[in-house]
Amino acid sequence: MSTKSHHLIQRGQIPEACSHLIDFRSKHGSQPFRVLQKCLRVKPLGRAEIRRDPLEVPRCASCGISARSRLYACVTCAAVFCHSAESSHASAHAELMSPGHEIAVDVDRAELFCCACCDQVYDKDFDASVVLAQTAAASTLGGGSMIRVVAPPENMRKRRRVEYRPWTPDPKEQLLMRKSSSVLKSDEGESSNSLPWGLRGLNNLGNTCFMNSVLQALLHTPPLRNYFLSDRHNRYLCQQKTNISNGSVGNDNNKNSKLCLACDMDAMFSAVFSGDRMPYSPAKFLYSWWQHAANLASYEQQDAHEFFISMLDGIHEKVEKERGKPQSQGNGDCCIAHRVFSGILRSDVTCTACGFTSTTYDPCVDISLDLEPNKGGSTKNSSKSHHTYNGEAESMISGQHSGISTLLGCLDRFTRPERLGADQKFFCQQCQVRQESLKQMSIRKLPLVCCFHIKRFEHSSSRNMSRKVDRYLQFPFSLDMSPYLSSSILRSRFGNRMFTFGEDESDASNELPAEFELFAVVTHTGKLDAGHYVTYLRLSNQWYKCDDAWISQVSESIVRAAQAYMMFYVQKVLYFKASEKS
Amino acid sequence: MSVPNDDNPSSHSQLSSHFFEELLDSIVVDVASECHRIARLGLDRNLEEEEEELRLSTQARARVADPNHIGETNGKYVIDIFGQTHPAVANEIFECMNCGRSIMAGRFAPHLEKCMGKGRKARLKTTRSSTATQSRYTRGSPVSTYSPYSNSTSVNRISNGTVIPGEDYGEGAFEDT
Repeated sequence: MSTKSHHLIQRGQIPEACSHLIDFRSKHGSQPFRVLQKCLRVKPLGRAEIRRDPLEVPRCASCGISARSRLYACVTCAAVFCHSAESSHASAHAELMSPGHEIAVDVDRAELFCCACCDQVYDKDFDASVVLAQTAAASTLGGGSMIRVVAPPENMRKRRRVEYRPWTPDPKEQLLMRKSSSVLKSDEGESSNSLPWGLRGLNNLGNTCFMNSVLQALLHTPPLRNYFLSDRHNRYLCQQKTNISNGSVGNDNNKNSKLCLACDMDAMFSAVFSGDRMPYSPAKFLYSWWQHAANLASYEQQDAHEFFISMLDGIHEKVEKERGKPQSQGNGDCCIAHRVFSGILRSDVTCTACGFTSTTYDPCVDISLDLEPNKGGSTKNSSKSHHTYNGEAESMISGQHSGISTLLGCLDRFTRPERLGADQKFFCQQCQVRQESLKQMSIRKLPLVCCFHIKRFEHSSSRNMSRKVDRYLQFPFSLDMSPYLSSSILRSRFGNRMFTFGEDESDASNELPAEFELFAVVTHTGKLDAGHYVTYLRLSNQWYKCDDAWISQVSESIVRAAQAYMMFYVQKVLYFKASEKS
Repeated sequence: MSVPNDDNPSSHSQLSSHFFEELLDSIVVDVASECHRIARLGLDRNLEEEEEELRLSTQARARVADPNHIGETNGKYVIDIFGQTHPAVANEIFECMNCGRSIMAGRFAPHLEKCMGKGRKARLKTTRSSTATQSRYTRGSPVSTYSPYSNSTSVNRISNGTVIPGEDYGEGAFEDT
């Protein structure tokens, strides 16, 4: 396999068939594969094998030996032959009976093989037969199927996607802009080196770098920035609305309902993008946030991630109060916070006895990853929890060979099948008893902006102590999330067969590239209780360091070498959905 | 390979090594077959890109660790990207939105904490001062039981009218917060 050809292959595409396979297909169609399906034997979590009857021991028809690593059954005449680089009775058979006996199937691995080309070949209909056999096997004990249709989260209706059209104002809008607005002053005399808009320091109000660091990242989160700068949440109108709905009666609730973190964000966006470069004090924001998160309101260093979650929750809650009913987070229609950050995680728990899988979906606004110890040199997988479906080969890359922890390695760990301990037996609906099971996470729906949080702060309640994990984590500037999607994970669970898995078979979101670009990194330096947060922002492919009130330009190397705590990635190409009203 | 008939040890070790080879072969073909499929279907990860990112990160760390590297100055006491300098403690002055007082930015959070009555320290401070006030009164007679942080036990103890030497009492009542 040459590296050149790799780049030409699109992800998940059907490989070109060799001439022998093409001939075979044109002569027999897919009928032989469907017949083969009856001979496919599947064990739960095991792979499919070809056996005429379950207890058959295949032997080479020429030499009679069964203990060969590769035995192939001719699809045309069902005769079994051995194959190896040194001597191939399978190839001899193909030549002898030529034409028409070139295609065979590996009896232990259910893979098609062309004995003339001496290479593994692939066929969509054959793969479909294998998957169907695997599915049927899991459901023979009655009822459940491995790919049963679990109702996807509410409101995950497919919506038409429209092409992104760049917007330019029409003459009427241009006139409106000229009359009703004033041009912002840009940096004088530096037209060629003009610094980006929205770059402005944030004053530390007293141990508030945890807040400043997250705010800097949010101020430059493209969909969020666009939302507020397009006046989608006008703080004047919002406050007016609140005043009207509260009436003129002065009650205690007034103060609380006037509380709107989105309004404070709107004010902050206006200030930060105004062109004024003196550091901004997010005092009003702190005041509002402390009213919302009373339990976190104190003058001591907080956790930036905790603040992030709390803040998004605050924006969401206000919307909930307005609409008067609970808003489901999953599809992100509730508020801008979820529209930008909300994704859906899928959790599969599979019974190791019968293969029955129970699936649940949960919305998430970020992905928290463990930084597990990575001993240098030989890879020592914690064999207790590591397990594979279908004997799949695990990717050994992701820095394990060099001993560095990487973001991709953390994501691999996050989505790998984990054997739940004997003390955590899961009640299997099919077996009707508690069984040992495998759990696997995957991403059902990617958010517009992925926030990765690295669990660097460990709290041990048993020992009543906390500690910080300082280990370096490598993170890429460009990230492809497709291996972690539910569709990919499901497919690999079935041996990477060519088959459309998942409930929304025609859901375009799974075919679109899941490429993300890094735009902000929040780092933490120092000790657990005496540390400092700093954010690095990537604007026009230039990196800036935001250290409270101090903004400076830094090289890429500084960012790569930094101790990442939270990383923000945005979808490379934003796809726009047609709005429901139009 | 023919199966040896005799019982001698060398043929046993031959047999066992033969079986081992077969098993090993089988495992190798397992992996090869799976990887072949992954590669042909274009499902493998772009290893070149990943290795490139790793290389860049290693390079970056080496550069930064080099004492001669000037990439990042300690921004706190230096001119920022706009040519401005700032004091270590932010000195912008604005009005507190809770009480209306003029506060310096760098001291806003601790002020707001007390102003809003939030935070552990704020509560403890108020409590101690109110205890001091009450103990002065309880020496003489039963007294009004107003306490901003009603702790039912302590209220009951006060309202019983028990005459208690102020200092001892003050210690016990507000320990739990």
